[in-house]
Amino acid sequence: MTIEAKEKEKDSIYKPFIATIKGIKELSSTEKQFDIQIDDKETREAFNFKPGQFVELTVFGLGEAPFSIPSSPNNKDYFELCIRNVGNVSGALHKMKEGDKVGIRGPFGKGHFPYEEMKDNNVVIVAGGLGMAPVRSLIKYVLENRDDYKRVIIIYGSINPDYLLYKDELEEWQKRDDVEVRLTVDEPCEGWQGEVGVCTNLIPGIDCPVDESYVVVCGPPVMYKFVIKELEKKCFKPEKVFLSLERRMECGVGKCNHCHIGDKMTCVDGPVFSLWEIRNLKEAI
Amino acid sequence: MQYKILKKNKYQDFVKGLIEDYNFIGPTKKDKSVHDFVPLNSIEELDTNYLKTTIPPAKKILFPPNEKLIEYEIGDEIKVKPVIESSETVLFGINAWDINGMNFLDKFFSKDFVDENYWDKRDKLTVIGMDTEPTENNFALSMDTEYATDGFDLYLHDLGDRYFVRVNTPKGNELVEKYVDFDDASENDFKDFDKYMDDYRAQFSNKVNIKSFYDNFEMIYNDEEFWKKIAKNCFSCGSCNLVCPTCFCFNVKDDLKLDLKTGEKTREWDSCMIPEYGLVAGGHNFRPNKENRLKQRYRCKLKTYFDKFGQYACVGCGRCIEACLAKINIAEDINSVKKEVNV
Ligand SMILES: Cc1cc2nc3c(=O)[nH]c(=O)nc-3n(C[C@H](O)[C@H](O)[C@H](O)COP(=O)(O)OP(=O)(O)OC[C@H]3O[C@@H](n4cnc5c(N)ncnc54)[C@H](O)[C@@H]3O)c2cc1C
Ligand code: SF4
Ligand code: SF4
Repeated sequence: MTIEAKEKEKDSIYKPFIATIKGIKELSSTEKQFDIQIDDKETREAFNFKPGQFVELTVFGLGEAPFSIPSSPNNKDYFELCIRNVGNVSGALHKMKEGDKVGIRGPFGKGHFPYEEMKDNNVVIVAGGLGMAPVRSLIKYVLENRDDYKRVIIIYGSINPDYLLYKDELEEWQKRDDVEVRLTVDEPCEGWQGEVGVCTNLIPGIDCPVDESYVVVCGPPVMYKFVIKELEKKCFKPEKVFLSLERRMECGVGKCNHCHIGDKMTCVDGPVFSLWEIRNLKEAI
Repeated sequence: MQYKILKKNKYQDFVKGLIEDYNFIGPTKKDKSVHDFVPLNSIEELDTNYLKTTIPPAKKILFPPNEKLIEYEIGDEIKVKPVIESSETVLFGINAWDINGMNFLDKFFSKDFVDENYWDKRDKLTVIGMDTEPTENNFALSMDTEYATDGFDLYLHDLGDRYFVRVNTPKGNELVEKYVDFDDASENDFKDFDKYMDDYRAQFSNKVNIKSFYDNFEMIYNDEEFWKKIAKNCFSCGSCNLVCPTCFCFNVKDDLKLDLKTGEKTREWDSCMIPEYGLVAGGHNFRPNKENRLKQRYRCKLKTYFDKFGQYACVGCGRCIEACLAKINIAEDINSVKKEVNV
């Protein structure tokens, strides 16, 4: 019997703490933002997350699902979630109102974006669709500590302009002269000023030196293969390229096993992995 | 570790004492060929001479097929309570490979996060091991699991007229002192035990070349034809997972009771071999093909945890071979890698 196992106090890793929905905002026709505040003050203060980590959210009576935290880790009072309406839990959440209660476990994931290590480097973000949610936390952090980083390049693609998340912020970032934002959509509408096509097309145009640059990638499963191919063509360093992956999860704490990718578990070893770690894992990309 | 001798004429009183004092779980005959571990009230029901048990005893107790994790109450506030329940239990007559299977689960349920639902039961379990005859499909000898070095309190090896007893814990020692007199093992007893182990090991006829499988796994992993061939007949039924002493996959469900005020979260065994395993909302499936599922199962059993813990997540019990209607045979598949590499 392991000593560590015996010394831990008997509390369940499956027990959520109670939190309140403090605000709800529509982000697109399918995504909503939820501001979540943990009820117990002590737990709230102890809840420190890093960009790239996620929580398990319970809708009591329906179930639980993992969601990345898109807000800045510097915001201690509450955190935000960006949730697409696709299934049971997410669908029920979309029907909830301010003041409603949910359960939260986390933050989870040993693998997060290495925001400390990235200091004094260029930061290139490549996001597709809902992939903006996990990387937004990093973008927020980097912009709040802007002087610590060199160039900040954000490449973001979605199906059409309506599906772009955080439109106000994108506009704001576009106006700044210390952030380079490149937007692209598959189906432009009238008056669209950005690029047309998949975000992969914009990678050849990245013009920062690879040994001083970190790249962060998050998007739908199909996106990774193509993005990685383009990044490798440009010789970005695999140990400086980070990908946030998504798999089915039932527990978030490395027990239910559903999120295995080869020898790794997405929930505890990830969800953020370096390309170096996973490039030989066939199932990863 | 201490080494003792239990005379055969004292064995009955020893077991009767345990049955009297403890929640006692041991093997009993279910039908001609299968035994099952169940709570027993008398020594007459106990039959330690078993060849096969379908559901592994330790997994059944420590990680039951259905287990309540959380209860909650919805009122003005929501109250959440973890459900961690267990009582002192003696598990009697479990064999070495199943103890080693439990040792794997011990490591697994402590890694990264400690699972108290498992550990609370494990801490209250007294394990008394005994050797059993291997089936023709059992390849425990090749997996180094035919002998347990840890994970038990007492281990009784049947030398014919007496038991050679290994006492592994103070808890085991208490039992040795409690009911009947045990003798210290003499030089002669050790010699007989050594011979006994040689004879016992000679009973394992099914051999696998696990080292070769392990060494070549990453290469063979990319050989799609190889995996298509071995998974060809798989029905994706998941029986292999259910009978395995080390399989630990589960789903969690959340149910509200009819009063709509109370509810619970429960975990139930899942199977990595069924198509729904990698399915997520929106219809995407991360592992839609049966050959990919089988190869991930073999990776999990024969590679991943050897790298993480230095122990394979397969103890070679052969249960999955016996349970598979498609005749998929992990032992043959392990050996076929060597053949593949040599051509
Ligand atoms: C690390 C991580 C971060 C995520 N971040 C976000 C996010 O920021 N915003 C967002 O909208 N979605 C996110 N998802 C996906 C989100 O968890 C699913 O969209 C959601 O689980 C849909 O579940 P449901 O209960 O509504 O659907 P159902 O169809 O009812 O799903 C049933 C259960 O299956 C599992 N499941 C289903 N789909 C997924 C999936 N895609 N990924 C993982 N488990 C799944 C869950 O356990 C879920 O409760 C993330 C997933 C992971 C793994
Ligand atoms: S290997 Fe055999 S037991 Fe396992 S899922 Fe396939 S058919 Fe079922
Ligand atoms: S994989 Fe098969 S042989 Fe190995 S421990 Fe599990 S049931 Fe036994």
